[in-house]
Amino acid sequence: MKTGTAGERSTHKKVIPYLMAGDPNLGVTEKLLRAAKKEGVWAVELGVPFSDPTADGPVIQEAAQRSLCPSTSLRSLLSWLETIPVGERPAIYLMTYFNLFLAMGLENFVSSARRTGGIRGAVIPDLSFEDAGPVRKAFHPAGLSLIPFVSLTTSETRMKRIVARSEDFIYLVSLLGTTGKELSETGTLSLMVDRIRSQTESPVCVGFGIQSPAVAGKVLQFADGVIVGSRLVREETDPENWQKLLSAFCAVARTSTEPSGVMC
Amino acid sequence: MEKISEVMAPSFRRPSSLPDKNGYFGEFGGRFVSESLMEALYELENSFRTAWKDKAFHREMESVYKDFVGRPSPLYFAAALTEKIGGARLYLKREDLNHTGAHKINNTVGQALLARRMGKRRLIAETGAGQHGVATATVAARYDFECEIYMGSEDVRRQALNVFRMNLLGATVRPVEQGTKTLKDAISEALRDWSQSVLTTHYVLGTAFGPHPFPLMVRSFQSVIGQEARKQILRKEGRLPDALVACVGGGSNAMGLFYPFLSDHQCALWGMEAGGRSMEPGEHAARFQTGRVGVLQGSKTYVLQDEDGQIEKTHSVSAGLDYSAVGPELAYYRDSGRIVFSSVSDEEAMEAFEMLSRTEGILPALESAHAIAGAIRLARQMDSSRIILVNLSGRGDKDVMEVARIKGVTLT
Repeated sequence: MKTGTAGERSTHKKVIPYLMAGDPNLGVTEKLLRAAKKEGVWAVELGVPFSDPTADGPVIQEAAQRSLCPSTSLRSLLSWLETIPVGERPAIYLMTYFNLFLAMGLENFVSSARRTGGIRGAVIPDLSFEDAGPVRKAFHPAGLSLIPFVSLTTSETRMKRIVARSEDFIYLVSLLGTTGKELSETGTLSLMVDRIRSQTESPVCVGFGIQSPAVAGKVLQFADGVIVGSRLVREETDPENWQKLLSAFCAVARTSTEPSGVMC
Repeated sequence: MEKISEVMAPSFRRPSSLPDKNGYFGEFGGRFVSESLMEALYELENSFRTAWKDKAFHREMESVYKDFVGRPSPLYFAAALTEKIGGARLYLKREDLNHTGAHKINNTVGQALLARRMGKRRLIAETGAGQHGVATATVAARYDFECEIYMGSEDVRRQALNVFRMNLLGATVRPVEQGTKTLKDAISEALRDWSQSVLTTHYVLGTAFGPHPFPLMVRSFQSVIGQEARKQILRKEGRLPDALVACVGGGSNAMGLFYPFLSDHQCALWGMEAGGRSMEPGEHAARFQTGRVGVLQGSKTYVLQDEDGQIEKTHSVSAGLDYSAVGPELAYYRDSGRIVFSSVSDEEAMEAFEMLSRTEGILPALESAHAIAGAIRLARQMDSSRIILVNLSGRGDKDVMEVARIKGVTLT
């Protein structure tokens, strides 16, 4: 079962900022989380640094390096989050590579996440649908969502299998390659969103390549939400700028509607 | 010290269904990569399985192995080394005599022929010391592929000669500045390249590691080593060896030698990992000694990592063994007890390097020197009625500068 408002499509367009925990330190991360809450974002994707981030481009790799030194771990991050009252931070999806979950132990992770509160699930870029069985089994009874990925190379048959399970949202990777590139053409992407929507009620959020509020606006004409990663991560060392930029993304989301207006 | 008698596994049968359909050897393996690569992995697996059943593919591969690579590689009785050690008789499988100087070319030939069938125009690869990079650049030149090789900038500096060899063969070498600037980072960068170029590009992974089907495919291409060795020893000695020894980085030369012997329970199988300077974190690459089960770069296997799951740095005198994880199939046979692993320190490897050079007139690669050192250790516990077969996976020419540096010799 889904928790809260997650997992349902609505006319309200979602902005999900990605931020790297501990970049440049947890004090700044707290500021950014509070700012995101004030801005009314639907959720944040909170990145946990991993030494070997194979799906990330240079901007997020460098942020991870800044955070790893001195050290941010999954376990310490969850305990730290408990120091911020749930009502004062946005809903969180933890985003990191599978080895960190394995090292902590899936059951340990699930019980810590429940204790921390406000953790809706996880986004694990190197966990393929085929390998994710044990994670779904540990997450679902605890009300945690494992966000499924669909990419432009995903075949129709495979996509149907991936989205058949209801999760909080579908993460559609907008371009081939790693994070931090610019999305230019949206025609194929829009078709892919339609194809996914014909199979599931879960909202479809587009990530990778959302490099400006203008691009976000374009994508939000056909998708339910955008995940803004590298563009915001670049501003992490300057919280004021970060907040301004996030406001610009959220403003676009508030004015975005779908041309057909048939969403429900 | 390990006793040879401890490693017999009389009841062992090689499972025929491994890996399973999701690429698992027991609990190890899988396809831990981003969704963008998944369809490419299925396409690769299908192409590989189809080719592997096709006699024409094997005929072509065998002809290239024979005339281009120089196979079969000899099985050489190391009489002088055997005499010096005074124990079991030592045979060397001479992969060092292959074109480009190591076993790596067996795999790159296979993957290039496969990539051509798949209609890919571009090959990418990672390389540590440069052996796999050179072997990939070589087949790219031979079959007219565009070719880019990812190599940690630290390795680019240490292996300038191999970088130039790749350039001469027409490949572009991309220095990787991320992370530790070595093999691990080169693999990450190659995976990043592949995730955006997957429609036109084949990633020639160099070892029996990474996401399924690479461990299966690389082991299959490398098992020519063991098939030949098995026939050769039967011809020379009329029986199978008591032990086989190979060094283990990712595991391609080890799986290649061991695979055809897995059901021969009279043969003990020994893998030698890099013991480096000590067993402290960051000072070695002995994954089976201090590693834990984790996931790195596409595969679930033994990984050197800290308590939180961050990947540990590694060290070895040989760049080819200097890696934090190990092939999933080896992890499976380790846990089932069929293959036994030990480690060889930098110092022991250097001694073996010098001993083989002086006694047999063969300069081994520093990687292979680990296998030689391990074999010497075992041979000393046996009498001359016993036979040990060692995979001499590569030649030492590439290491001459490094050996000079270690010995404090300045070359001009």
